[in-house]
Amino acid sequence: MELFYSILPELIRIVVCAVCGAVIVFGNALVMGYAERKLAGHIMLRPGPMEVGPHGLYQLVVDGLKLMGKQLVVPLKADKPLFMLAPILAFAPVFVPLLVIPFSDKLQGFDLDVGYLLILAFASINVLAILIGGWGSNNKYSLFGAIRSVAQNVAYEIPMLISALAIIFMTNSFSLKEIAAAQSPVWFIVIQPVAFLIFIVSMVAETNRAPFDLPEAESELTAGFHTEYSGMSFSLFVLGEYANMFIICSVATVFFLGGSSGIPLPYFEYSGIIWFLAKVYFLMFFLVWIRWTYPRTRFDQLMNFCWKYLIPFSLVNLLITVVMVKLL
Amino acid sequence: MDIKAVKTGWKKLAKAIEDVDYAVFGYDYSVSLEQSNVRDFATMMLDNGFYLVDLMAVHVAPSIEVVYQYAHVETRCRVMARAFVDSNNEIATISDIYQGANWHERETRDFHGVVFTDHPYLEPIILAEEDVDLKPLLKTEAALKDVDVVRRKQPEPKVETAAAKSQEPS
Amino acid sequence: MAMDVEILDDPKHHRYVLNMGPQHPSTHGVLRVLLELEGEYAMELLPVLGYGHRCHEKIAEHKPAKSFMPNTARMDYLGALIYNHGFAQLLERATGIEVPERAEYIRVITSELNRIQSHLLWYGAYLLDLGAFTPIMYAFDDREHILDILEDVTGSRLTYCYFRVGGVSKDIDDKFVTSTRAFIDRLRSRFPMYEGLVNGNVILQKRLIDVGELDPKICSRYGITGPLLRGAGVGYDLRKSEPYSIYDRFDFEVPTETKGDCMASFLVRFREMEQSLRIIEQALDSLPEGPVMAAKVPKKLKIPAGDYNSSVEAPRGELSYYLVSDGTDVPYRLKVRTPSYSNLSVIPEMCQGMLLSDVVSAMGALDLVIPEIDR
Repeated sequence: MELFYSILPELIRIVVCAVCGAVIVFGNALVMGYAERKLAGHIMLRPGPMEVGPHGLYQLVVDGLKLMGKQLVVPLKADKPLFMLAPILAFAPVFVPLLVIPFSDKLQGFDLDVGYLLILAFASINVLAILIGGWGSNNKYSLFGAIRSVAQNVAYEIPMLISALAIIFMTNSFSLKEIAAAQSPVWFIVIQPVAFLIFIVSMVAETNRAPFDLPEAESELTAGFHTEYSGMSFSLFVLGEYANMFIICSVATVFFLGGSSGIPLPYFEYSGIIWFLAKVYFLMFFLVWIRWTYPRTRFDQLMNFCWKYLIPFSLVNLLITVVMVKLL
Repeated sequence: MDIKAVKTGWKKLAKAIEDVDYAVFGYDYSVSLEQSNVRDFATMMLDNGFYLVDLMAVHVAPSIEVVYQYAHVETRCRVMARAFVDSNNEIATISDIYQGANWHERETRDFHGVVFTDHPYLEPIILAEEDVDLKPLLKTEAALKDVDVVRRKQPEPKVETAAAKSQEPS
Repeated sequence: MAMDVEILDDPKHHRYVLNMGPQHPSTHGVLRVLLELEGEYAMELLPVLGYGHRCHEKIAEHKPAKSFMPNTARMDYLGALIYNHGFAQLLERATGIEVPERAEYIRVITSELNRIQSHLLWYGAYLLDLGAFTPIMYAFDDREHILDILEDVTGSRLTYCYFRVGGVSKDIDDKFVTSTRAFIDRLRSRFPMYEGLVNGNVILQKRLIDVGELDPKICSRYGITGPLLRGAGVGYDLRKSEPYSIYDRFDFEVPTETKGDCMASFLVRFREMEQSLRIIEQALDSLPEGPVMAAKVPKKLKIPAGDYNSSVEAPRGELSYYLVSDGTDVPYRLKVRTPSYSNLSVIPEMCQGMLLSDVVSAMGALDLVIPEIDR
């Protein structure tokens, strides 16, 4: 009993974190699903969803119901266990990185010393999900999408890590909270603009968003890795994609945009989340914006861009940072 | 392009060459060929910078006529070259000279059953594979007209060669 | 084991077949291309046609030539008026019917509007193929104005049947003239936006430059015409080289490029819209008064025996009607030479060894309209 009482606060914390994580994942999907369609509409000079509810606000609810009601079609010669596992695998791991993100000074699940590594590790599971989904579908287009996705994600993880490493050298910590706290006078975007640019580009590629949406390149691969998915299994992929966008934008916010810092509000250790979410959603808006603006790159150009430009530049940036850290 | 020189070249291969009134008929020259000369003629046209506009067949009695339409990109010179297929409905392919003829020849085989010998891939293109013997554009016995019926009535342009004169259908 | 080695030694061992179409987002209709791929490189391509075959040539042999006019519009739904134009001209040539001046001007104006409409749709759809979702909406916004203008005068929005033997079916009014002039100004003001937003985009240029190069030799071997040929450096446009109708009265240029790649035909098509605007503008300025139908067009239009040809410049290249007549009003044989049919036939040679993404770019540059190929 003694033991129980000693771990009770910890248990409550875990339950609360899990609930908050779920709220964030689904809430974010709702917000982004609506915002993306509205933004895309306005970028394209059309109003976007307008019919269901005021300004189409309930459209996503209706869509969600529709997707839940749909039959899950498994292709005839698909590898059924893998085919069913993939969407779950794409969706399930997104809760873990949310635990270590410092939404404000006090709103953080756990402050791990290896926070950033944890995020990278769990973000990589998404690649596995896409790979087995594409493989299990027994469809050549899906397989193409899966293979492209693996090559692309593995390649772009490197510049993403290296550009973030420059920050980690400066703060001497992998803990997201400490990194956010280290930017109290100046955000790292000012000190490390090159790293920020590289991070942003890798971020777009990591989340498989246009113009780097080659795994699902619509005009070439019909729908890429999720060609054969329908109903909820398809929407799990979409939920996972939006959650990943949220996580990666949060990381960018923590690393370069000062985390939850901003003009002080009352109860700032909690209300800093407003600034944090504002920055995250600004980055998300940026992702949506470029998606609906640019054409898609070609696969070899994408890989060349990573190996020939991003990685060398991020390495040079890292070297300069290390030298400067040593000298100062 | 020197049209005089080109015409001299045609004379070696053609049975007859007619000048045609563009304002009425929409092309400039009508060249009748022996079916053995079709390939040589195509080679000559390619060397002179013509491109193949079209290749088609017209089902007339006594046998199917294949019409090649050539045109030139620099000057207005639209040529209709015609040749009859032989008794087996065969004629030599020109798809190795003008690759663009490949599909036109397949289409002609679909619609009229003309066999282009040495064609690399004479499979149905517009029609489905099971309709390989359909030949939809062949005329019925009743509808089939003699070749003279569908020819121009007053070929007022001067006939080029004496040999051509005797062979020219009136 | 020995067999495995044998298989591995076969250079084609790594190849597999990908079936692109007939339902694929970038084949624009029911075209199917069998791709033999090695990795993502297309080593061999085999287009499979005929899904949309509607026997137009057979139909033509069974009804009076005059009644075939609606069928012409169904072949190329984007260039319907230009297909009308070619066919009307064919019968007018054959029967010697004179078209009134005003009708000729109306034909030119509406044909050119139709051409711009076709190019705008191509512009949007091509960029959609390349993964840019937004430009198609901008292009459709502009295209909608043309459809409205043409709907007022022709009665339909896509498969027009407006031209008749001897003229056009309905006269244009002042509203047509003012709205066309307004449209010219509007589209002109939009060109800089398109250039800034799309044509200069570095991703777009990387996707198009050096992809699918054609030289004039290949073009003449395959009978490729239209913007692809002009992109390869040959300024061949039937409106200039065989001026039909009244095109010789207008001052316009034939845009050309030299490289012959996808970017070249992209730019050629883009500039052609401006030239079409110029033609429309001049035609509107000098629009004469008068009737729009020839006075005496017999109900039963007998075509003298003989063979007739009529070639016009369709949005995608040279369109040729070839008619063989036995002296009755029903054609003995009608052959339609559609530009996309010849243009598409170059695909196996043009795309050999290309990446799958480049195959999509190259096919988009052909501006395919599948019903026109299948007829």
